[in-house]
Amino acid sequence: MEHWLIALIIMIGYLVIALVVGVWAGKGQDSSSLDEFAVAGGKLGLIVMWFLMGGAVFSAFSFLGAPGWAYEKGAPAFYIIIYTAFAILPWYIIGPKISKIGKKFNLYTLSSFFRIRYRSKTLGIIVGLLALLASIQYLATQLTGMAHIFNIMTEGRIPFWLGALLAYGIVVVYVATGGLRAAAWSDVFQGLLMIIISWVVGIAIVNQLHDSVGVMFTNIATENPGFLQIGKEGSTMGTIPFTTTILVSVIGFLMWPHLFTKSYASSPKVIKKTVLVYPIFALFLIPLLLVGFAAKGIVDANLIDSADQILPFLITTVMNLPGWVYGLVGAGALAAAMSSADAITHNATLETTDGVIRTIFKDLSDKTVLKIMRIGVFVIGGLAYIITIFGGQGLIVLLLGAYGAIVQFAPGVYSALYWRGATAKGVISGLVVGAILNFYFQLVADSTPFGIHAGIIGLIVNVIIMIIVSLLTKSERSEEEDTYIRS
Amino acid sequence: MSKKKFNTIYIMIVTVPFLLLIFPLFELANRATPIIMGLPFSFFYIILLILLTFLGVLILYRFDPDHKLEEGDE
Repeated sequence: MEHWLIALIIMIGYLVIALVVGVWAGKGQDSSSLDEFAVAGGKLGLIVMWFLMGGAVFSAFSFLGAPGWAYEKGAPAFYIIIYTAFAILPWYIIGPKISKIGKKFNLYTLSSFFRIRYRSKTLGIIVGLLALLASIQYLATQLTGMAHIFNIMTEGRIPFWLGALLAYGIVVVYVATGGLRAAAWSDVFQGLLMIIISWVVGIAIVNQLHDSVGVMFTNIATENPGFLQIGKEGSTMGTIPFTTTILVSVIGFLMWPHLFTKSYASSPKVIKKTVLVYPIFALFLIPLLLVGFAAKGIVDANLIDSADQILPFLITTVMNLPGWVYGLVGAGALAAAMSSADAITHNATLETTDGVIRTIFKDLSDKTVLKIMRIGVFVIGGLAYIITIFGGQGLIVLLLGAYGAIVQFAPGVYSALYWRGATAKGVISGLVVGAILNFYFQLVADSTPFGIHAGIIGLIVNVIIMIIVSLLTKSERSEEEDTYIRS
Repeated sequence: MSKKKFNTIYIMIVTVPFLLLIFPLFELANRATPIIMGLPFSFFYIILLILLTFLGVLILYRFDPDHKLEEGDE
């Protein structure tokens, strides 16, 4: 049998199992309960929670982007491991707080977290809409990853539109039927698969190309030591960009709205234990970086369109690997992309229905909201798909802007938890100015002062403006404020 | 241990290694050699610090004052 055919069969087999696990997980639960759909009744256990979190980190970016960074940039790729390990740590302290607040006010979203604390519908809607746009951008990246994988592993036989449709269609179906619980259990299956595959294939590739990891790095260190350093001659990144990229990733990670939904979905104890075991996920990224380093000096950069294709390129073209390896790597990459896409799709739906629609039309019953949510999964899924396949440049720029704006939620979130003085007007002005500055420096200007990451520039101005405006617009003490701070 | 004290110790335990992994302090380890356990020195240093941090957090977890309140809360 030909390689591509074996690969196709394995990937289809994987998709079928993913669908069965997803749909099975939602079975037997109360399908008419809004609470079950949104936050799994607030009762997700440790293992499921762990993989749900891991799934969010292990995305198409880690499977394709991490080796790409290591191959193209060298040492700067270490930032991925550093931020994955450290970004989760503040959750140990703020996660339980957010969980208690969520249960007290019966929250499902980040948008309502803002709306209740700052008693501002406008703020709730702004956050909900930014979250929706950012999620669509994130989904488009995952969908592109899925489509590329299908395309490369079947040697071009599955067109771009079909690969994305197959893989993402399955995600949409199980999220719409089973809600958060389905997403969580699929992530357990997908998480195990991608971890095993990345280690086995990663180590195999290094050993076949270079004898051992040590030999490989010794060669790179002799020929081009700057490649393994930051901000030196021959390095690809300076010290300030490296540091601020880590900072923005660490701060931004916990601001993703789906993490709030996950906090409401579990107990403080589960949240803490999740943090304790989480670094293991950061270490799982190591073999993927090794793959990128292994390709250095072996693959001519002109042969691939972008560095992201280095892992599939090694497998299909450089090394003569059997078809089942194609299939396994394909399945692992699909699992990575799908396990991120399910949680984000679920959350984007919540943010739009619970955060925006329910704020505008107040008198909707839980039953109607649940119905809108299920339909919403298909609508948002469809939007993400259409944008991925037909998206124009202008639209993509807008979405990238929203994506960068996520980190700008941080001042508002931390103030909600720790600073009584913050007001709605302060948070809104900071958020808007921060997001605009971020947008400008990321997508309009050619460079930033000292190479500081655009998100950090936005964040500094955001904090200053939030504090000044908050101090000028003092509000009365409210009960919500007290509950947020004391939780 | 009071909750406030616990939080302070926790924040210190995670902030110190984090600062060692970003500049200016990361300059200490910003070297390709020596190769340790097959890895460039900087890579090895990063993995070592991550492991140490989580060892620290794991140990600290045992002293979390919230434990008694949350028994059976799983």
